[in-house]
Amino acid sequence: MPQKRWNDHLMSRRAVLRHGANGLLAGAALWALPSVAWGRQAWERLDETRAIVDGRTPTGRGITLDLPSVSEDGASVRLTVSVDSPMSSDDYVEAIHLYALGNPSPPIATFRLTPRAGKAEITTRVRLNESQTVVALAEMSDGSVRVAEQRPRVTVSGCLIREETYGNGSDDTLPEPRVRMPRRLAAGEPGEIITLLNHPMETGLREDADGETIPQRIIERFRAELDGETVIDAELARSLAADPYIRFYFRAEEEGELYLLWQEDSGATAESRQSVSPG
Amino acid sequence: MLEALEHTTIVNLGGLLIGLLFGAVGQRSGFCLTRGLQRCFQAGDGRKLRSFVLAMVTALVGTQLLASFGLVDLSRSLYLGAEFSWLLVPLGGVLFGYGMVMANGCGARATVLLGSGNLRAFVVLTCLGVAAFMALTGVFAQWRLAVADLTSMRLALGAGLDAWLASAGLPGWLARWLMVAVLAVPLVAFVLADRRFFRQSRGDWVAGVLIGLLVPAGWWVTGYLGADDFDPVAVVSLTFVAPIGDSIQYLMLASGTDLGFGVTVVAGILLGSLPSALLSGTFRLEGFSHPLRMLRYMGGGALMGIGGALALGCSIGQGITGLSTLALPSLFAAAGIVLGAFLALRGPTRLPPI
Repeated sequence: MPQKRWNDHLMSRRAVLRHGANGLLAGAALWALPSVAWGRQAWERLDETRAIVDGRTPTGRGITLDLPSVSEDGASVRLTVSVDSPMSSDDYVEAIHLYALGNPSPPIATFRLTPRAGKAEITTRVRLNESQTVVALAEMSDGSVRVAEQRPRVTVSGCLIREETYGNGSDDTLPEPRVRMPRRLAAGEPGEIITLLNHPMETGLREDADGETIPQRIIERFRAELDGETVIDAELARSLAADPYIRFYFRAEEEGELYLLWQEDSGATAESRQSVSPG
Repeated sequence: MLEALEHTTIVNLGGLLIGLLFGAVGQRSGFCLTRGLQRCFQAGDGRKLRSFVLAMVTALVGTQLLASFGLVDLSRSLYLGAEFSWLLVPLGGVLFGYGMVMANGCGARATVLLGSGNLRAFVVLTCLGVAAFMALTGVFAQWRLAVADLTSMRLALGAGLDAWLASAGLPGWLARWLMVAVLAVPLVAFVLADRRFFRQSRGDWVAGVLIGLLVPAGWWVTGYLGADDFDPVAVVSLTFVAPIGDSIQYLMLASGTDLGFGVTVVAGILLGSLPSALLSGTFRLEGFSHPLRMLRYMGGGALMGIGGALALGCSIGQGITGLSTLALPSLFAAAGIVLGAFLALRGPTRLPPI
């Protein structure tokens, strides 16, 4: 119950203020509060992130989480996470986990990488309910954990034009995904690929005009394979923005085929095959 | 060379270039709706107003040409959204128009003036930008959204005036150009009513045409060069209320904010106006002679900011750019701006001299 824990935390702050009615004490308590808040990192508030860290001591070095400081549209906020790693067979990033702590459902996505990725950098778009802390955890092949946290601000603006991108009647087929392969791909060098699938990523938390809950319907899995070898295998969750956008890297030594697969929680899938010819 | 650049970089460079041209032309010509209305309502001199109207017509025809060739999808712009507030759009226009007269020029004019050394414009721009964001995302945002929600009106056929004609059975192209004619013919008639305008005010009509052309140029930059399959930039053109606020915000948050078209246009205007003022020997540092005047300019800036946020645009943003899309709400906003300026210049609500 992360929500409750957070409230407890606030309550204890109030208690501190109440008991410190004495001017000097209150002053001392107020001075001490920020350091208390900073001393505890945000990932410690959530059971899921604590389970990933699993008693290890995460370092903040070698990982960057980039989000805009202010967003007027919390429905789709660009997020880039990159981890310094050679991505070699004995030293690579195994997984990157993203959480939005202030969302009704904090998990955003987990990206499992292999040395085939060549570069541990992923850009996607996320939903942010309000201003909050976003956490990225990277699990390294040597068993260490890295953590990055950001506090993006989300404001209202109201002038949002949001077209339904995927409201057609045929419910068991997914639309054609869009893929942009690298313009130039050098053998053995990481190349950037952008993918997008038009899909509402319906959270199951929304009501329609009649007050009926719209059932959850999300893309829950995304996988990329180069000639049968996994490049990236992602579990996507409800805090990922509609029209899942995933920008990542892969490394190819020779000609081959990149196979991309999207899987909806209904079981429906979409796929794309791209020929790869490094030169 | 262009292929090596990200499309967002190309859009930002395009914005900078458009801003530079606007700054230079605006500085040389004194292009300004406020002054145009002031002279027209108070002295019966319509030259500056005709320059503005000429810009409206040029922007309208240029933009509709772009749209009819399918180069820019205007329906993705803010102006053609199917919902608008029947209260806030005209009311915001009135506030903007009144503020524009208080501050002796709109936001774009103030940016041009700041580039030529006018520090009064700095006060106006600061108040405008902060007030705009107070209404857009700040302390008044919830009220604005609540009222907008209560007074929201849904246009079943869409906001475009041509869509109404098309629904009567006319083919799309005919509806488009018929509607352009309905708007443009009276405006052109007004421009031509003064025979001396083209002969004696060459600077004014050239400025009107050039600034009018910058509006389709802006649509083309954001709607064509910025149309990426994966990260399309917002389809916008010249407008100044939110961009002035964005520029202030960008100065403070650049490390965590993406540079956008509006901000580079504002920067371009400053950078275009400055050399133009220096070269023509008109650069001069100017401040306030009286604190009451400063108060009035601050109030004018704040009214423009809030009014522009409510009306979704300024004299240029709605009056020229918005109308160029044939959007009905833009017509209401523009009428509100003219009414607001009229109230400030004539009648019992006019501003007393300081």
